[in-house]
This record gives sequence, C-alpha cells and structure tokens, in this order.
Amino acid sequence: MRDTTTPDIGSLIKDETIHSSLYTDRDIFELECEKIFEGNWVYVAHESELPRNGDYLRRTMGTTPILVTKSAKGIHVVVNRCTHRGNLLCPAPRGRQKAFGCKYHGWVFGPDGELVDIPFPDGSENLDKSKLGLRAARVESYRGFIFASLNHDVDDLITYLGNARQALDRASDLSPVGEIQLSKTWVQHSFKANWKMISENEADGYHVNFVHDSFGKAITPEGKYDNVLKEDEEGIGSVSRYLGNGHTEIDYEVSYGAPMKWLGVKEDRYPEYTAAMKERYGEQEANTIMRKGPPHTFIFPNLFLAETCFVVIQPISVNESINWHTPLYLKGVPDKLNQRILRQGEPAMGPSAFLTADDAVIAERQWGALDGDPGWLDLSRGADREVQKDNGVLQSHYTDETSNRGFWNHYKSVFQ
Amino acid sequence: MSEIDEKEYRQVCNFIYLECQLADEARWEEWEELLAADMNYWVPINGQEADPNWDVSIINDNRSRLATRIRQLRTGTRHSQAPISVIRRMVSNIVIHEDDDGMVIAEGNFVAHEYQNQSTMMMNIWPGRVRYRLRRVNGSYEIVQKRVDLVMATGKLPTLAFII
Repeated sequence: MRDTTTPDIGSLIKDETIHSSLYTDRDIFELECEKIFEGNWVYVAHESELPRNGDYLRRTMGTTPILVTKSAKGIHVVVNRCTHRGNLLCPAPRGRQKAFGCKYHGWVFGPDGELVDIPFPDGSENLDKSKLGLRAARVESYRGFIFASLNHDVDDLITYLGNARQALDRASDLSPVGEIQLSKTWVQHSFKANWKMISENEADGYHVNFVHDSFGKAITPEGKYDNVLKEDEEGIGSVSRYLGNGHTEIDYEVSYGAPMKWLGVKEDRYPEYTAAMKERYGEQEANTIMRKGPPHTFIFPNLFLAETCFVVIQPISVNESINWHTPLYLKGVPDKLNQRILRQGEPAMGPSAFLTADDAVIAERQWGALDGDPGWLDLSRGADREVQKDNGVLQSHYTDETSNRGFWNHYKSVFQ
Repeated sequence: MSEIDEKEYRQVCNFIYLECQLADEARWEEWEELLAADMNYWVPINGQEADPNWDVSIINDNRSRLATRIRQLRTGTRHSQAPISVIRRMVSNIVIHEDDDGMVIAEGNFVAHEYQNQSTMMMNIWPGRVRYRLRRVNGSYEIVQKRVDLVMATGKLPTLAFII
C-alpha cells in the first residue's frame, strides 16, 4: 500500500541540502505534474514549427497530452483528449487540418478546442456542447517561443521569464532577421532517471570534467572546452548563474574571444551572414552578438537552449524522462551556416552523443542508487563565493552549485 | 546496376559477418581497418525521407568524427561504455548488387541484443536494416558507407554508445 498523505516538500529542501526522495518518490512526481507542469508556464513549441493556419503539433505538458494548433485566431494549446470518453483525439505527431474528429464516436473539435459537432444529434439533443470543449491553456509567446499554462491565473510570460528572457533574445538575435528556425526532426533520448536530474544538470559546470573526461581526452580542446576542461579551477573563466524563477545558465562568453568562435570558424567564413548582421544591428552591435554566441540556458521546467542544440525535457514517470533535441537553426542565414550548426550539435546530444550518452548513464546510476535508500544530498559548493549581480542574478565559478541551489529554492516556492 | 556472382556473394557475406563480430566484441582497432578514408557512418531518424544536411541524425560521422568516437571509447572513462556492453547481433536476408559506380551495395535485416551493463542492467533489443556501400580493394572490401535504419528510430531510444 502506498502512503497517501501529501509529502511535505518544504521539509525536504534546506538552503544547501536536499532530500533524495525528491527524485524517487512517486507521490512527489504526481504533485509535480499538477503544480509545475499544469500549474505554471511550460514551453510547448516554437512558431517556426507552425507556419500556416491549420498546422498542428502533438506535444505534452508534463504527462498531459496536448495539441498546439494555429488558426486565423492565433495559436491555441488544448488538451489532446476527447471530452466524451477520453480517447487520444489526435495521434499524429504533426500535420495540417481545420478540425479534429475523434476516431472513437466521431465528436469533432475545432483548433481552439470548441466542440463543433456530435454525430447522430437526435440522441444528444440535451447535451450542452459549450461545456464540452477541450480544456484550453493560456498561451503567450516571446520571440516565437510558445509557452502555455493550464492554470490561467499566473503572472504574464514576460514576468515569468524574468532575466531568462535575455537568453531567448541572445539565441534569436544571432539571426539577421531575428528569428530561430526549428526543423521537423527530433531525436528522443530516454533516460531511466528523474526529469530533475536532466534539468539540473544543464547548468551544472561541476560535472563536466568528470562525466565528460573521455570527451576531453578524445579531442584537442579548443574554444570553450579549452576554457573549462582543466586540472585546476583557477584557469576556468566561464561562469554559472541563477537567473531567478528556476531558470539557470552557464555562460561561455569569456571563452569566445572573436566573432563566430562559438561555431568554431573564423569571422570571415560566412561573409553574406556577417554583412546581413551588420546591416541589421550596425557594426559594433553585430560584432558583439556574433562574439557572445548562443546561450547555454535552462528555462524552468523543460526548455534548454544548449548553444547549437534546442532541447526539451519530457517527464514520463518518476524514473523515466525523454531528452528531445533538434538543431537550433537561424532564419535568413546561408545554408552552409545552418549545416555547421547541425554538424556541431549532432554529436553533443542524443543517445549516441559524445556528451549526453554519458550524462544519461550517470543519471541512471544516480537514480538507482537513491531509490530505496533515501538520504540528504549536499549542494553547498560555492555558497560563500557567489555574488549578486544586477536584477538579483547570482553568479559564481563555473563549478559552483549556485544554479542548483537556485533551482531548488524556486522548486520549493512552487509548493508553498 | 548489375548482379554479382555466387562466389562474390559469399565473400561479401563473410566480410559483413566479420564486421559484425568485431563491432560486437569491441575490437575497435581491427574494426577500423575495414573502413575507407572517405567513410560515412549514418544512423538517420526518418528513414527514406531523411535529408542528412537538414534533419538531425542519431549518428552522422565522417571518418574523422568516427575516429574521435573510437578514441573516446578507448579512454576507459566513456561511462556509457565502461564496462562495454555485451552484444550479439544477427544479420540476414542479405541482398547484394553492384551499382553504376562499381560499388558493391549489400543490404540486410539485423537485430542486435545488447546487455546494457552500465546502469539499467536491461536487455536492449535493436532491430533494423543495415546497408553497406563497399569498395573492392586488394581482393577484399572497404566500407564507404554503413547506414543503419533502426525500427524505432522515430521514437524514444535508450543510450546507444556502442557501434551499431
């Protein structure tokens, strides 16, 4: 018999320690689905994936199946489950259609979730169709990044993003038309581990020299890897940040000494691109954008802008999560530049990657070692040397647990 | 496109069986000797529609990137292959022809059984279709392309850090 009392999340998170049951307790996972994935903003899609009216994508918010649709009225996010008998309304991963007919008894819904038709209407004439639409989420987007919240009573998206908004700007501004572009193909890498082990790991600089030791030995480190793959911590210049509201980042800017170094090329490699960037932003601003490169930023609870990769984290159960990734392409750039983005990101992410294959195995070992033998875990590293920057951002050494502590502080606040 | 004779069919099959055994047994040095300098090792996601220059692949290695992959496996700290998985694969339904460039094209169905002994301790089953593009050299062959279309490529995949 499972214990049915509600876990007291607050007692499991202290300033510099957390209790391991947060990763392994099935009841806590269910609470997370309700309070985090159905209670506040969750990333669902990018507008570049829905170019035409009628386009739709099948996605999830936590474990809830949803559809992201586009109609003449705008973008809608609705629960992908027929309100009659609960059948998965639309099984296709993406497509284009004006309405969604349930294959079970033929109920038809519009892209905004409205119940528009019931077959054999005589027997259902007393049914109030206006009360049987699909559950619709509140939807807002910023720079084409679409977020949804099944709880309509939340702060607006801009407030929620806070300091992390700059990461969406940093990615989008790398395009001379100010927009990123996603393709139709995603790799899905299954981790037999809790979703937070992925989410926290995205801005954890401490693990890099250990989990990715084999990568450092197999390559000749250049650029950012030369900056962070070190024997001693003094030589590392990249930083870890807590941005607020659960959002975290690592900033490799210091390791990108010249424009385009983030892509491993000289700044004159794509002259058309450089010219278009200078045309849009002016010479100085364009050079700054092209030198700073893309963000390495996690946006709570499920979006990770991983430099040249675009990553979405999907919780499946307390011990399974899927790490989805696709290239973070730029609109309005030469094909060759996007191909280089593809080739650079492809070996970093996914089941066969030089990097995440090892992250997955470590997360799985960690989950297995914690399940059944709970205890307290230490997250104190760097607490004495982190500094507060503008707008409440906390910054510290690359290897410090500033981002992890921030993540858990925010997590705790969700349940209070 | 033309047929090949019985003797060559047997030679190509033996070459493929050797390639599979070396990959199964993590005999990477011997395995690398089967590869052409212009080799491509490709595991696409969306099968026949895949555009390797726009659609992200599970693996798309040129020879240099594949060399890095092998160097990483040999460090001893490639955690996703330390210890190395225990693997046995079978290849069957092999059909072979020669293309207009004089390359030998061999295709077959396969299934690899992987005992994932790094973390989950599960038996992973990897079925799919494998396609080799082979160049005739010195009475044998070198692999110009190995393409692997996994049955579950469009769905979720566990870690795949060995040579499939």
